[in-house]
Amino acid sequence: MTEIYTTPQEKVQEPVVSPDLAISVRGLSKMFGDEYAVKNLSFDFPRGKIFGLIGPSGCGKTTTVRMLTGIYTPTEGEARVLGIDPRQFSSNTRERIGYMPQLFVLYPDLSVIENLNFSASLYGIGFIRRRKIIRDLLNFVELDPHKYKLARQISGGMQRRLSLAATLIHEPELVFLDEPTAGIDPVLRNKFWEHFRTLSDSGKTLLITTQYVGEAIYCDIVGVMGQGQMIMLDTPEGLRKRALGGEVVDIQTSTPLEWDVAYQIRQIPFVQKNVEIKPDNTLRVTVDEASTAIPHLLDWFKERNIPVESINEYIPPFDDVFIQIIQESGYGQSI
Amino acid sequence: MANLFKSFIRSMSFFRKEIVEVIRQPRLILTLVFGPFLILLLFGVGYRNEPRAVRTVFVTDESSELAKQIKENAPTISPQLIYVGTIPDKDPALRRLASGEIDLVIVAPENAYETIRSNQQATFELYHNEIDPAQIGYVEYLGQVVVDEVNRRVLASMAQQGQTEASDIQQKIGDARSKAAAMKDALRSGDIAQARSQQAELRARISDISLAVGASAGLLGGVQQNVGSNSSSSTPEDETLKLLSEIQNSTANTNDLQDGKTSYDTEIQDLEKTENDLADLQNKLTEFQSISPNVLIRPFQSKSISISKVQFTPMDFFTPGVIVLLLQHIAVTIAALSIVRERRSGTMELFRVSPISSAETLVGKYLSYMIFGLFIGAILSLLLAYGLRVPMLGSWQDFSIVIVAVLFASLGIGFIISLSAQTESQAVQLSMIILLLSVFFSGFLLDLRYLLPSVKVVSWALPATYGSVLLQSIMLRGRGLIPLYIFGLVGIGIALMVIAWFLLRYRMRHE
Repeated sequence: MTEIYTTPQEKVQEPVVSPDLAISVRGLSKMFGDEYAVKNLSFDFPRGKIFGLIGPSGCGKTTTVRMLTGIYTPTEGEARVLGIDPRQFSSNTRERIGYMPQLFVLYPDLSVIENLNFSASLYGIGFIRRRKIIRDLLNFVELDPHKYKLARQISGGMQRRLSLAATLIHEPELVFLDEPTAGIDPVLRNKFWEHFRTLSDSGKTLLITTQYVGEAIYCDIVGVMGQGQMIMLDTPEGLRKRALGGEVVDIQTSTPLEWDVAYQIRQIPFVQKNVEIKPDNTLRVTVDEASTAIPHLLDWFKERNIPVESINEYIPPFDDVFIQIIQESGYGQSI
Repeated sequence: MANLFKSFIRSMSFFRKEIVEVIRQPRLILTLVFGPFLILLLFGVGYRNEPRAVRTVFVTDESSELAKQIKENAPTISPQLIYVGTIPDKDPALRRLASGEIDLVIVAPENAYETIRSNQQATFELYHNEIDPAQIGYVEYLGQVVVDEVNRRVLASMAQQGQTEASDIQQKIGDARSKAAAMKDALRSGDIAQARSQQAELRARISDISLAVGASAGLLGGVQQNVGSNSSSSTPEDETLKLLSEIQNSTANTNDLQDGKTSYDTEIQDLEKTENDLADLQNKLTEFQSISPNVLIRPFQSKSISISKVQFTPMDFFTPGVIVLLLQHIAVTIAALSIVRERRSGTMELFRVSPISSAETLVGKYLSYMIFGLFIGAILSLLLAYGLRVPMLGSWQDFSIVIVAVLFASLGIGFIISLSAQTESQAVQLSMIILLLSVFFSGFLLDLRYLLPSVKVVSWALPATYGSVLLQSIMLRGRGLIPLYIFGLVGIGIALMVIAWFLLRYRMRHE
């Protein structure tokens, strides 16, 4: 996976046009007045995956999406979406792209089904063909029982689902979802991500922006943005490793740990410098790879007659990972 | 072909959406249809198509002859003048005027007789407290009517006096005729002394008659001189003066009678002619006396007759303008709100990402609003034609073409507003400015002929101007479409649509 996307440090002058790539961006920047909203983004993103853009409010996620959908013209840099410059999108290309804006922008005085009909018409879908699509989508977003209600009469969560259905009405290959889970409850958020995974499994490419760091785990690739720049771009596991310097193992002993155990264990070659003594006789150790390190660690404790109660890989929450990344990147003040 | 079909579907997306959104607002439709209908109904029922009556106080010296005349005549001068009374002092009258108790104070001239004798016009002063220029003009006009009426009544009185004097002349003519007959008899009997006596008296009578008739017939002569006559023969007045001249010549030519003549046949023939002339003159004066003094001093009056088949009420006249103004306002407002609302709500973002083009968007919106406007226009027009019985002398087909053209051009204005305004309130304000412009410059309130040519440019940039002229022509004159106006209106509509299309294209690409 890592070979098909690049970080800003790995600059290539021109975006890559390849059937495998959904998005390729080089040096993409957008200025409003004298200020950069997005600065020097460069990455490639493959088709059929979920790409999460994570970052605090105002970090440039929406601006990036708007440049990639052709709404904004970049100040600098180039982008290729489905192999085409967004500034040159034809009607045919637009029919392959779906876009769900951050806010609910459909018509409150139209019913759920009328809004979907409107969206279908925008994409030139004939009256007969759209009937099945709408029926399927209503089932997919679980709005079928509410299809005759006016959009203003349904809940905020339902409105988001209606927006999602409207975005998918023309069965796009590439879907941009700008903070689709913002402001909705965790249960519904999970449901949304289930929908996204279903879509991804059916071969669609999704670019999803979110402020919820924990949602990074649902993505195939995560880009962490701060102050308009891409701080880190990797798989969720890769991000975790890069943020923490490796994988984390918790070792709980039956007896209290001596003070020099942390010092001694740090001398093991595969152990990183981050060793921490926690309460309940637990030692938190960062290693290169947990699966290979655990047997060695068990031997190491056995040799020193320290009884081990339990030893497990600890998967830290993404909030911690994110904070670590931001702190290390130096963009901490913006969050 | 597939692309064309898709393009059609995309345009229709707005068509359906806009219609459904409007149908969801039945109160809006009711307001748009019945609002203007009820306004026109109220206007038709409540508007009094008659000049306003003005409460008037006269200021004059109560002991004067003029005061008597005013008291006698003022209540009947004009139906628009409500005679409140006559008072001697101006100041209390002006205080009542300032308090709104009365509308007009007319101060009669002091020493009018002396002023006229000194070869000057006596002036009636009119005081009012109006602020509306139209009402000021009306009050001034009414004052002029009062003064004209006073002048007329003075002249009528003089004419009546002349006619009374004409009775004395009749008597004198009768005397002259008997003197002529007596002289003739004396000559036949050879009594020259008696004949001479009768001749002297006849000449004296003729002299009196020429003085009196000259003054009275001069009045009629003046009338003839000013207005002329289309008759080939001379008028009675002309003949009167001619006869008088002949009588004078005849009696003057009759030489003093000489003694010793064997025959006085020539003198007798002259006397017979004079007798006949006097009889004619008597007839003419009788004719003169039979003419009313009012006709003599105001021989002409006007009577206007419309060649139109129908007599129109003010409501009839205003109806075409109201229909056009209302449809223009509806079209401008809904179009002005439509795109700015899409931009504000963020829907425009969806359009920009979707394959819909600016032309498809505009076509869809034009079509939907045209259908909506036509629906409103149709119901309103039918209500007016069959509910209020507003005349429709032309064809409904021409009427419909004008309505379509007005809606088309008005939507163009609305879309340009919508694409220029930043907020919905701005769009509404700009729409209201267009309405105000139309009220003042479309000929709805003020006749276009009162406007300077440079200002008329504004008038002819407004669809309502063309629409009002065309609908008035169709509905009230029964004429067909006026090509210059209908092509002008459609031309404006096309120009506005092209501008709107450019603006929308720019917004969809660059905003």
